[in-house]
Amino acid sequence: MESPRPTLLSAPAPLAAASAVPPVLRARGIQRAFQISDRSLEILHGIDLELRPGELVALVGASGAGKSTLLHVLGLLDRPTHGSVEIEGVDGWSEPVAQRALLRNRTIGFVFQFYHLLPELDALENALLPAMIAESAWSYRGKKREYVERARGILERFGLSHRLEHRPGQLSGGEKQRVALARALLLDPKILLADEPTGNLDRANGEAVLKLLFEEQKRRGLAMILVTHDERLAERCQRILVMEDGRIRAERVGTAS
Amino acid sequence: MYRSFLSRRYLTARLINLIGIGGVFVAVGALVLIVSIMSGFLEESRRAVRGSLADLLVLPRHESGNPASAEPLLEAIRADGRVAGSAAELVWAGQISQPGRQFQRVYSSPIAGGATLVQLVGIDVPDEFSASELLPALSGERPLSYPVADPLDPFAPPRDYAPRGRPKASVVVGEELLRSLDLAPHDEIQITTGVPDPATGDFKPNNRTFVIAGSFRSGENETDLSRIYLDRRELADFLGGTLEFSQVLIKLEDYERDGLALRDDLRQDLAHKGLIADVDEVRTWEELKRNLLGAISNERVLMMIMLSLVLLVAGFTIFAILSMMVTEKRRDIGILCALGATPTGVLELFVRIALWDSVIGSFFGACLGTWAALRLDAIERWLSRVLGVEIFDRQVYLFDHIPTIVEPLFVLAFVVSAILVAVLFSVLPAWRASRLDPVQALRYE
Repeated sequence: MESPRPTLLSAPAPLAAASAVPPVLRARGIQRAFQISDRSLEILHGIDLELRPGELVALVGASGAGKSTLLHVLGLLDRPTHGSVEIEGVDGWSEPVAQRALLRNRTIGFVFQFYHLLPELDALENALLPAMIAESAWSYRGKKREYVERARGILERFGLSHRLEHRPGQLSGGEKQRVALARALLLDPKILLADEPTGNLDRANGEAVLKLLFEEQKRRGLAMILVTHDERLAERCQRILVMEDGRIRAERVGTAS
Repeated sequence: MYRSFLSRRYLTARLINLIGIGGVFVAVGALVLIVSIMSGFLEESRRAVRGSLADLLVLPRHESGNPASAEPLLEAIRADGRVAGSAAELVWAGQISQPGRQFQRVYSSPIAGGATLVQLVGIDVPDEFSASELLPALSGERPLSYPVADPLDPFAPPRDYAPRGRPKASVVVGEELLRSLDLAPHDEIQITTGVPDPATGDFKPNNRTFVIAGSFRSGENETDLSRIYLDRRELADFLGGTLEFSQVLIKLEDYERDGLALRDDLRQDLAHKGLIADVDEVRTWEELKRNLLGAISNERVLMMIMLSLVLLVAGFTIFAILSMMVTEKRRDIGILCALGATPTGVLELFVRIALWDSVIGSFFGACLGTWAALRLDAIERWLSRVLGVEIFDRQVYLFDHIPTIVEPLFVLAFVVSAILVAVLFSVLPAWRASRLDPVQALRYE
């Protein structure tokens, strides 16, 4: 099979000043193929991507273009067939499983379309989950008060102070997504990967979540990739990467730049 | 941290875990209860096997040139401070009949008719009390039907005994034997036996009439149905004076502590003094009943192995529940991986759920099993009353309660085994959970 020519992306002119800062995420030659019976189905055809601190990048494209797959590869959840993903200079896919999980826990925050909260935990506990995963039982006990204060602070800022002990089943879609965002931000990650974060919300709730998302991204200087179908939403980002058939076909500058 | 936190949360939030806990609970509870009952029955069997055997026995072979008199032996044995008591016994076999019984009745029903084989045991009363349990058997925890006039002098003639002709020597008969032959104190019985002739080596028939002084109850059915106590000198005289004793009973201050050591010392000492010809002549009661005790011990091991299969059933329950949970929690597993959980962490999370199931189930199972074993009689009576069926027939087993022994070590072993089995059976579903592709798991709805 002919190897596709990787798409090389450089920072657009408005971000030239930022390019002096080393990227927090660097993907090189990402290919991802799935084996179906005796056939190999290639989803990503060699993608290069750099993401610097504070950058807000939209990833747009039709369904099946490979946006979510790319996001999972970049988030160290889905191993690429070829290529590397460096997080703060560390090649995540060359690391042992435990180190890779630690890297994901400490540096990457995920926000999913379907919130993905644990139904048995309340809002505060869901938000605390990354800290529980990061710490051993012993060290968590020592830092619990600090983590709880931090999670409570984020949730209160997100307008959920009255919902802390509510389980996901008792929350609205917008509230669930705000809890998911609080969870993603708890450990102050460097990178935020959001997969259609408003795809399951009505316009008003979606806008409220986006407002929080953009505010936090800016306030924390997060490098963020936002997967969306919504062109108007993508326009609000600094860079827009257009995916088609597993390749980044075009790159535009958004209004946030 | 999340492993312990989430395992506890899943445990309380998912009611399906109650089935797993219930499975382990029932298995451990049943095991503790059944093994306690079995231990009780086996202990009763062990007691029955021991019968009235003393701690140690000296069984001299008279043909090997040992002294005919028991006195030197008793003197040597009593010199040891570990000995609490000793007594010489002369044991022989005989057949009893009641004078005046019709031939036809004997012919049609030998036992009811009074032609019964019995064990004749000749004893020296004070010595026998020091070395055996005869005194309590004469006094009786439960009132005897036919007590002797004075338990301390059991061979005294019965009160108001008016013999026909010459007064007969007294015998004390097992309670069950007395009852089965429809006999009572003052009744005279004829004992027929074979007496060895030292000149020819042949047996010659001999018989003598005795009077029944009363009964004893040892609590061992076989003994109470076949044994007759009489004075050792009387029995020796009945046998023609050829034998004075056939065994010496030794009771120890502390058998568990000194049994084997004293046996070895006596073997050496008595052989050195020429009182026994062979060291085998001194034995512990367990050596005498080695085969039966071995069978009892084997029975216990076999039963425990078979009953342990119940734990496997509990293990399969845990396996099924955990497999179901892994399928149900696929999305959660994906979320945990996205948040930084490792496959090992996911595996541990599910193993911990099984661990909680088994710890809680086995703890309460052990408590219930122990409680039920300790209160079994009351439970059985209550159940019998409620169901209207006699669950435990006390006549069949010859004891008036269901014997149970709760052995803490066994209870601990069952609890530990249940936990091990549960953890073992949880490894496969937990391993499957840890191998799930997080991306696939996140897509799972």
